[in-house]
Amino acid sequence: MTLFLPVLIGSVIVLLLALVLFYRPAFKTVKARKPEILADTPTFAEEYSVELAEPVRPKILDPVPELPRSYGMDRLVLMVRDPYWLYAYWEITATKMDEISSQFSPGLWESSRTVLRVYDVTGIDFNGNNALCSFDCSLGSNTDEWYISVPSANRTYCVDIGRVLPDGSFITILRSNPVTTPRDSLSDRFDEEWMWIEGLYFRQQMGVSSPLIIEELAERMGRLPIGISSPGFYNPHE
Amino acid sequence: MHTGYLCLILHAHLPYVRHPEHENFLEERWLYEAITETYIPLINAFERLTGENIPFRLTMSLSPTLISMLTDGLLQERYIKHIDKLTELSDRELDRTRNTAFYSSAQMYQNLFRSCRDTFYRYDKNLVQAFKKFQDAGRLEIITCGATHGFLPLMMNKNAVRAQVNTAIELHTRHLGRRPEGIWLPECAYTPGIDAILKESGIKFFIMDTHGILFASHRPRYGVYAPIFCPSGVAAFGRDTESSKQVWSSNEGYPGDYQYREFYRDIGHDLDFDYIKPYIHPDGIRIHTGIKYFRITGRTEQKEPYDPVAAMEKAATHAGNFMFNREVQADYLSGLMDRPPIIVAPYDAELFGHWWFEGPQWLEFLIKKVHFDQEKIAMITPGDYLKLHGYNQVATPCASSWGHKGYNEVWLCGNNDWIYRHLHAASDRMEWLAGQFYNADGRRVRALNQAARELLLAQSSDWAFIMSTGTMTEYAIRRTKTHLDNFIRLFDQIKEDRIDEGTLHYLEYKNNIFPDIDFRSFGGKIA
Repeated sequence: MTLFLPVLIGSVIVLLLALVLFYRPAFKTVKARKPEILADTPTFAEEYSVELAEPVRPKILDPVPELPRSYGMDRLVLMVRDPYWLYAYWEITATKMDEISSQFSPGLWESSRTVLRVYDVTGIDFNGNNALCSFDCSLGSNTDEWYISVPSANRTYCVDIGRVLPDGSFITILRSNPVTTPRDSLSDRFDEEWMWIEGLYFRQQMGVSSPLIIEELAERMGRLPIGISSPGFYNPHE
Repeated sequence: MHTGYLCLILHAHLPYVRHPEHENFLEERWLYEAITETYIPLINAFERLTGENIPFRLTMSLSPTLISMLTDGLLQERYIKHIDKLTELSDRELDRTRNTAFYSSAQMYQNLFRSCRDTFYRYDKNLVQAFKKFQDAGRLEIITCGATHGFLPLMMNKNAVRAQVNTAIELHTRHLGRRPEGIWLPECAYTPGIDAILKESGIKFFIMDTHGILFASHRPRYGVYAPIFCPSGVAAFGRDTESSKQVWSSNEGYPGDYQYREFYRDIGHDLDFDYIKPYIHPDGIRIHTGIKYFRITGRTEQKEPYDPVAAMEKAATHAGNFMFNREVQADYLSGLMDRPPIIVAPYDAELFGHWWFEGPQWLEFLIKKVHFDQEKIAMITPGDYLKLHGYNQVATPCASSWGHKGYNEVWLCGNNDWIYRHLHAASDRMEWLAGQFYNADGRRVRALNQAARELLLAQSSDWAFIMSTGTMTEYAIRRTKTHLDNFIRLFDQIKEDRIDEGTLHYLEYKNNIFPDIDFRSFGGKIA
């Protein structure tokens, strides 16, 4: 696919060129009824326009539809771009806003500012209060997406969108799915486990197999089950 | 016993660019050019090798969108028209170039186009049959891909991933007569958890970029020179950097050699307009015809005429060089391992022939040399390897892709990030539909299946990729928005039980991919 790009770019250049050339004769046809204007020396483009006096690209293409900006669902979705960048987008429904207003004061929206609070939740079952650390990103007023720079690869992050009140307290509006940033270097875990195809025969531990490491592995696997912490598998219905 | 294995993988994929609504659609030419320059030259090479009794073993992934186009009656007829026209042009070119330095190239093109026509008809216009023939003869291991080449790690809904995988397996099995054992993850994009979904569907292996294996945890003892098992038991093979660079890099790699054909000089752009007009776009838009008379020559605009014989000799030399380097590599690696190393060399199939014109010749030379000139390395497929070496290290691969910078940035950047809020909403809605209307019948089933098609088509990673490049994005944006808009309309109609037969019928005609799709696969159903 990538390889067709040059062709693609080539075609568009030609297309644009042809477009330019095409619109000339259209002018010319109109002007032809007023010969006095046409009396000018023909330009280079006009000379060529004669042989290109055909429509460019099928004109009957359907118009490109516009997509809705919102889908009427409360969601804050966190995605991984690379080991050091996350991307979040969100949608907050009017119902949710009302709910927040009635829970706090109606003046909340004027007296507070929007922030994204980014939590490092690596290896923990996040309950809102037990993050290893967190930092805030201040947002502009009318945005519904943000790229977030994070400090470390191979860490699990979760994000809240919320409001910071003048007294510094934070109100969560929506919480995202957790994501884990990919590694950007070799793993420092050297102990090996080997497996027969399909686990047909047995699983065998080789190399360093101190009980401590196995315990740690089990713990890690238990808290960060494969498929939950990864960016691809946030299931809003779970 | 061999010292090492060479695992060549050609990933053949094009996005679905079928446009029944227009006679001449520029993007449809991607398919015709790939057929003429890549798929048929490969098939012809396989045929010659088979005729000469030279055994070979290659892996190819045929993406479901490509299979769908190659087996589509309308596109087959249009290809015939295309190749007939091109053959006619090559006949005229033979006259025009007589007694010039371009004559031998003109002869070459005439032969190429005529052989394309012959091969195309020989397989009843269905090139998938050709690939299947070599599969059944034990020459090709054909693996599948995502249904529409969707970028799996950025789908937030597991069932959207399942639908990509299961729809692909279903179509693949129908056309190739057996279930695929392996998958080419679109863009080699992986994130932990995808392997578990592959496992559910009986997929045994997939291919990753180098760092996906190297950065796996725990650290793989043999790096990319042996597969690892994901905790799910699915095997992951990693790309070898050295062999990749020799072929991939357009500067230091083989394809940039000065004897090879120059891609950017095409008579569609170079020749007199009146002469070339019947062979370019009917609206007078100059396009690549495929006839190119110059060689790369050097870092200069003054290109010299292409010499097919000199280029072929170069391809032979490069094949020898490639093989020699693999032997050295295998010698070295085998000393460090308890088993022969596997050198995995995956390429976009369209690199061969379309971009690197001499690529199919190079491949043919390589296969012959591997057979006749050495005994150290053997060609192997991932499936064969796992049958020979079923005992492998367990590690969790690192999330990665083979795109620029190695992660997700190409498919998630300022130019294309807007698509995800729509794709994710559509996936969640499709999942809801699949549950809600599981027992639907009649027209509603048709609408549900069409909604599934529109969503799958919107998910093609090709669109996000084109947007990320920032040029020529209009088509990619149009396709994304149109399929999503079609989905939204169908969703509303299904939900409110007011399905419009006219709209549905038109969409079924226009976006006819996956005739046997089952919308229930979005509810997690396994094919």
